[in-house]
Amino acid sequence: MKIFFAFLLIIFLSFSGYHLSFRKFGIPLFARTFYLTGLEFLFLGLLLGPQFFNILDVYTCSVLAPVTALLLGWIGMLFGFQFEISKLRRFPRIDFIAGLLEGLLTLVVVFGGIYFTLPMILEISDYMRIVMSVVLASAAACTAQTGLAMLSVRQIGNNQSIVKILRYLSSIDGLVAMLALMPVFMFLPRLSGMTATRFLIEYDFLVAIVSFAGILILYNLFLVYRREQSELNLIIIGMVIFISGFSSAMNFSPLLSNFFVGVCLVNLTGEKEKIYTTLVSIEKPVYLLLLVFLGSAWYLQNFWAIAIAAGYCLLRLLGKMIGGLSISFLGPRMKAYPPTLGLGLVGQGGLPFAILFDFQQGFQSEVVDAVVGIALISIIISDVMSPTLVGRLLKKGDE
Amino acid sequence: MTQAIVKKNHLLSYLLILVFLALFGLWIKGIDIETARQQAGVIIFSLGFVILSAYVLAQIVKSFKLPMLTGYIFAGIIAGPYISGFLTIEMVERLSLIDDLALSFIALMAGGELRLALIARQGKSIMLSIIFVTGLVIGLVVVCILLVGHHFNVTSGFNFVSLLVFGILTGVICVARSPSSAIAVIKECDAKGPFTGMVLAVTIVTDVLIIIIFTITVSLSKILMQGGDVIQLTEISSLMFEIIASLIVGVVLGQAISYYINRVRKDFLLFLLFIAFAVARLSMAFNHMMEVQYDISLHLEPLLICMSAGFFVQNFSRFGTYFLESLEKMSLPIYALFFSIAGASLNFDSLILCWPLAIIVVAARMIGLFSGSWLAGAISNDPPVFNRNAWMTYVTQAGVSIGLAQIAARQFPEIGMHLNTVILAIIAINQIIGPITFKLALNNVGESDVSSIRN
Repeated sequence: MKIFFAFLLIIFLSFSGYHLSFRKFGIPLFARTFYLTGLEFLFLGLLLGPQFFNILDVYTCSVLAPVTALLLGWIGMLFGFQFEISKLRRFPRIDFIAGLLEGLLTLVVVFGGIYFTLPMILEISDYMRIVMSVVLASAAACTAQTGLAMLSVRQIGNNQSIVKILRYLSSIDGLVAMLALMPVFMFLPRLSGMTATRFLIEYDFLVAIVSFAGILILYNLFLVYRREQSELNLIIIGMVIFISGFSSAMNFSPLLSNFFVGVCLVNLTGEKEKIYTTLVSIEKPVYLLLLVFLGSAWYLQNFWAIAIAAGYCLLRLLGKMIGGLSISFLGPRMKAYPPTLGLGLVGQGGLPFAILFDFQQGFQSEVVDAVVGIALISIIISDVMSPTLVGRLLKKGDE
Repeated sequence: MTQAIVKKNHLLSYLLILVFLALFGLWIKGIDIETARQQAGVIIFSLGFVILSAYVLAQIVKSFKLPMLTGYIFAGIIAGPYISGFLTIEMVERLSLIDDLALSFIALMAGGELRLALIARQGKSIMLSIIFVTGLVIGLVVVCILLVGHHFNVTSGFNFVSLLVFGILTGVICVARSPSSAIAVIKECDAKGPFTGMVLAVTIVTDVLIIIIFTITVSLSKILMQGGDVIQLTEISSLMFEIIASLIVGVVLGQAISYYINRVRKDFLLFLLFIAFAVARLSMAFNHMMEVQYDISLHLEPLLICMSAGFFVQNFSRFGTYFLESLEKMSLPIYALFFSIAGASLNFDSLILCWPLAIIVVAARMIGLFSGSWLAGAISNDPPVFNRNAWMTYVTQAGVSIGLAQIAARQFPEIGMHLNTVILAIIAINQIIGPITFKLALNNVGESDVSSIRN
């Protein structure tokens, strides 16, 4: 019975939260940042989880695992749909390179920082050390521009070129995160005792290629004839569930698999607009539900967790600052942007949540839960700080 | 390109999809499941597999002028525990959460399709149809079982009283229909008109009445089987209270839905999903709480609540059209999921065990359906084409019948197991034949879109 109550409560609050968070702003100013990103659902999940009400206990979450895989798949495919080559080409190529460079530099800085400091905090194997460093660095590489929503129209109007590049960079750097995340799931079979090299070269690679090709052919067979919107809804829902399930069963990531399928679909099929409409139609409730599930498995251990999270946050800020600064070296056009552009790239948005959740689902252990918990605190700090830092950046632009 | 070639290409693409799905299925079945994540992955993969294959099979049967519902059910049967074993019984049970959600959704739609004006106009015909069909189906099934019961292994060991009770209970359960199947075929055929309205009203009202008739029958049967001379009036009054309470909750819910459409409207589908889920689960929790904490046996019926809510929105608010249009947007995935799981749940062990008796009862039921609906139509002066075809729309059977058979099995342990087996076999046959005859009837009467295009 607990399962049903938990799920019911989640759906209801996601729904009401969707309206409260994204449509109405009848709340005090200081709380807007918090509500804007739907972070309250993370706390709701925490409240429902084993640490408090225990409605979403470990058993309930395991029974609802199919739902969580669906959520991850949905977010992955939606993110993949951002990479339509014809639309990306509308922007100068240098902007795309800037996005990749900024993401990559953040990734490298954060990876390096975590890789060397992690053994001081946790006792983990070398494999897990690499995996955790990559996952946390990937989450750090992502950027979202929710902070811009808090700024005045005048502020945005006076800094249109900066706002434009910030938005573009935010949509590109996630690609670096997703690509970096790919090898992480190659470690999964190793953990079950298989020889790493054999799996990586002989088995995993072949499995990935064959299954991906099969899924793409299957999708295209469905789309070879024009479908009505209701039929398309069924096909998309069915395929996301199918791919997520297949990925989980094969020790892959539902998020990544659906992301790559999304990238291919948006560039190959004529039905992309209809598919995108369907995906977007429930984007926010899906995202909020994900936050609730993530919150339920959130372990707040002690004060040190906040201190470590602050350290991770500073490391990420350093990475973003270096990334922002490096962009100005890319050419004369890029010199026009302030060297402190990284201040506008602090907000993390929804993708890191999906990355962390995917990681938590794939590598279930107490250490992973603890690390994800710290990363969540860091994301909250980043998202709350983001509007102030973006405001400061744009203020400099005004001057 | 001619239409025949287009159709052939379509079929070819669907067959290819099925081949691909089967290959993926075989692949997943062949891997070693080591972790809970992989196990969950297999279940979610199976869910996706069933939805997609149900859609494909529905498209294939559609090209042979059969209802899509048949395709969904066949997909479930093929994927289910008795044929390919891809969906195990445990998996089907774990999917019951989604199944309940879909059923609430379908019940909302069924209630929304009932128009008060139409019921008032055809009230006499509806009432007579219910009376005659109920009486004749029960009568014919009882007579049939009394005549042939001793020749079958399942019932050969019964004495006369046991056989009579077996016959009465089977007869009553045979009256039950499947509103979910009815609404699915009606929607698929885009059927509208007096005939469609009448058969839907008869189906829904019969499904409510049958619960009352069944309760009375169980009390009578107890007197026959175990002695005693007083019908348990408390059971019947408690049942009446349950039905009224469910209807009232449905009206309140209908009011809430109307209010939401009026004031918010946005993301209505999400709101409906929440409503469907809330009704399915809260009524279960409420029933449990009443029993455990207050020792009161009060059962709210989720199906009835949703139908009543849909009926309220359609007939007592300005938002009936918007309500139905919104529901229809989600109908395809819901139907594919619900009926494929229903197909996977069909019990073929029972059918194998007692198929000759099941076929005889199905035949007796059909004769009862035909003669009852024809008689009612003739007395009400309905068009002859209605009278000839109405019975075909009443063949489908599903959830309510299974539920009643399980209750009967618990109440009468002496005959319960055999009763359950025979009923499950009958349902399996009716659920396969029913949607086909339903679509045929709609075409014959000329109220389906297909017929209007042809005409």
